[in-house]
Amino acid sequence: MTRIALGATEIRKSYGSVLANQGISLSVGPGEIHAVVGENGAGKSTLMRVLQGIERPDSGHVTVMDRDVSFAGPADALAEGIGMVHQEFMLAPDLSLLENLVLGDEPLRWGRGAFALIDWQSAEAQGRGLAERIGIEVDWHRRAGAAPVHIQQFVEIIRLLRRGSRILILDEPTAVLAPQQVNELFDLVRRIREDGTAILFISHKIGEVMALADRVTVIRQGKIAFSAAVAETSGEEIASHIVDGSNPVGGEIRRGTPGPVVLDVAGLSAEAVEKSHPLHDISFAVHSGEIVGLAGVAGNGQVELMEALSGLRQAKGRVELAGIDLGGLDAERRRAAGMGYISPDRRHEGLAIDASIEENAIAGSHRASPISNGLWVDRGAMKRVALERLNRLSVKYGALRDPVASLSGGNQQRVVFARETAGSPQLLLVSQPTRGVDLNGIAAIHSILRDFRDADGAVLLVSEELDELQMLSDRIMVMAQGRIVGALDADADRREIGRLMVMEGVGA
Amino acid sequence: MSNWLDRGLGFAVPLLIALLVSALVLLAIGENPLDTFSLMLTEGFGSPRRLASTLSAATPLLFTAVGTAICFRAGVFNVGVDGAFLIGGLAAVVAGFSLPAELGWSLVPICLAVGALFGAAWLFIPGWLLARLEVDEVVSTLMLNFIAVAITGYLVNGPFLSRQSGNNVTPPVHEAAELSRLMPPGTLHSGFLLALAVLVAYAFWTRRTPAGLEGAWVGLNRRFSRVVGVSVQRTIILAMVLSGIVGGLGGAAHGLGQLHRFTDGFSAGYGFTGMAVALLAHNSPLGMLIGAILFGALASAGTTIQLFSDIPLDLVNIIQGIVMIFAVIELGRIGIRRRVKA
Repeated sequence: MTRIALGATEIRKSYGSVLANQGISLSVGPGEIHAVVGENGAGKSTLMRVLQGIERPDSGHVTVMDRDVSFAGPADALAEGIGMVHQEFMLAPDLSLLENLVLGDEPLRWGRGAFALIDWQSAEAQGRGLAERIGIEVDWHRRAGAAPVHIQQFVEIIRLLRRGSRILILDEPTAVLAPQQVNELFDLVRRIREDGTAILFISHKIGEVMALADRVTVIRQGKIAFSAAVAETSGEEIASHIVDGSNPVGGEIRRGTPGPVVLDVAGLSAEAVEKSHPLHDISFAVHSGEIVGLAGVAGNGQVELMEALSGLRQAKGRVELAGIDLGGLDAERRRAAGMGYISPDRRHEGLAIDASIEENAIAGSHRASPISNGLWVDRGAMKRVALERLNRLSVKYGALRDPVASLSGGNQQRVVFARETAGSPQLLLVSQPTRGVDLNGIAAIHSILRDFRDADGAVLLVSEELDELQMLSDRIMVMAQGRIVGALDADADRREIGRLMVMEGVGA
Repeated sequence: MSNWLDRGLGFAVPLLIALLVSALVLLAIGENPLDTFSLMLTEGFGSPRRLASTLSAATPLLFTAVGTAICFRAGVFNVGVDGAFLIGGLAAVVAGFSLPAELGWSLVPICLAVGALFGAAWLFIPGWLLARLEVDEVVSTLMLNFIAVAITGYLVNGPFLSRQSGNNVTPPVHEAAELSRLMPPGTLHSGFLLALAVLVAYAFWTRRTPAGLEGAWVGLNRRFSRVVGVSVQRTIILAMVLSGIVGGLGGAAHGLGQLHRFTDGFSAGYGFTGMAVALLAHNSPLGMLIGAILFGALASAGTTIQLFSDIPLDLVNIIQGIVMIFAVIELGRIGIRRRVKA
């Protein structure tokens, strides 16, 4: 009897200096659903690429059906019965579902090779049989692109089963589904499990893991942080391991002395970005001289909140900055009113990555004195302003004219801070400030934030690093499913924070 | 420094390959490629008269290249400069023959302004549609080109048809409205100087005005632009309007300086050749000057080498076509970037 359907042993994989997998071992048996959870960048994707034969590990090995295997490419993994259902579906939208089902492995009759005819009757019979076995109905003649997303996903699963996959890897399969469709998918996955198929289920939604999986493994920073049978753990425990830091960043913890209210938010609501949660009736205040940390599992409305506050996203409700109503003001006017914004996406939003360091440092101040009189730009003044800003935060760079892409992640982020703190704003909205930044850069960015706070600035800080939040913040709010579900002291028990982060159930 | 090299290579590689291929064609038809190329060089640049002819042919291309570059660098995929060229050209010519001749020297600036105004209004339409309603600018500007051809074609065969000629042309503009010829009897006219001034203004605009900086940022990264408080909508509309002004000015200069009237087939694809120039020059002012003169030389040499040798005019088309292929490759790269952004 097979004990390990798919296993990884001591997998190590690095990309340059980035250690994506640092000795990961896990396994899934026949008829078992094993959930793999972790934040973006934790190393889940790298592990899956190794299991699919897309990447070769630096060391360690893969086991399939109790045998050690070595994959030269994805075709080998497929031949071993490993099938992957991707986040973005791989169906050809203009073909029918039936055509998609048999694409690449068509049942033939009359003749062989290129001269054979496709046996559509047998294809349809196969499709019906498989669909019936897992208890779903499919209109096989529908165009794939016109079928509902969950049906497309089911067809992908059926296609893999038809090709003989005994091991399925589902990569965040619920990201694009509505709650009702999620339940249908889960029923289907459970029935497949009963057939003895092994399932690796990748997710970062803890409620789904609790509802579906038999076993759960948490990956954090390229290592296994936690692994347990789902029956023997809790959502809170899983959450605490997702965010728990194994190597906290050094530096003293120093709290601020809050002054008057700078940011006052009442009844804020906004639409969601894809795969996330809309904002529901959010109210809070941030005072001068304090850093307020916002904790939460990714995709629970943090991005929406920061964009709504900075004027990048339409929102309802009242937002006041130092007593001035910001209602209806766009990003440009909110900046002018005294707001800085550190984007969570440095490469695509925080910087114009192909523009010069100089322009990235002064953008936003290019219409005002001393750089411009409104009509012309004084290049000399522009250079002086850029130099002064870059020196203030000790950015290391080659030449001002170099593209900002030539800098390290930490120095890029310092350029963003140099620009956003230059006008002495009253409020700084900061998202994921140290993502992709090395340890020295992290320490420098932390001290920039503390200095800003100590100069009576107000900071709202979103981070997926709970260490970072607890070190920097004066108090912490927790966000879940588009709501603020709790407010705690910065040194509150992590398990309490974890409990709040998973406050509500699946798809509520 | 590497920037300059890059811009130079933008034309050098396509031109070299084009010359290689045409050398093979020449060998195949039994001509000596070196003799032919030196004849082309002589015909393009060999004498002040020939040089003037080249610069004259380069003039409309300078306008359309700058008009295109203004939009492309802002990430606005405007292919409608040809339409602005037609509309601006007709408007300026109509002003040039219907306003009272007594206006004298002031006719020239008035007619140029009319051309610029019509060009601006013409491209404001797709700019507004893109900024406010996200109507794809490639489709709208391409369609507007067809409309411009149809409208000007109708007007020049109907309401504005010259009674004397009756041959798809408008009456000539007043003598006072003509742009002065720089080297009579050649056709090089002061519109070339205007084109140079526009090129310099473009270079100044890109580096020394807030709106010019914003144009580049919007082209590189719209999300970034919004974060630093740049209005993407305003920038898009401004780029389109400026592009229309330059295109309309180009048409006006062509009408008042080169033809002295408007004819059916007023633009010999200048908008598209100008687009190729802007693409290969990566929107750099110096690169566009070189590119426009290069295409101008090909056009002017092509028409005369036929007279002095057995080389068919098609050779010039081959060279142009191959250089164009590289422009299309550049276009494809921009297209991919567009899709990635969307």
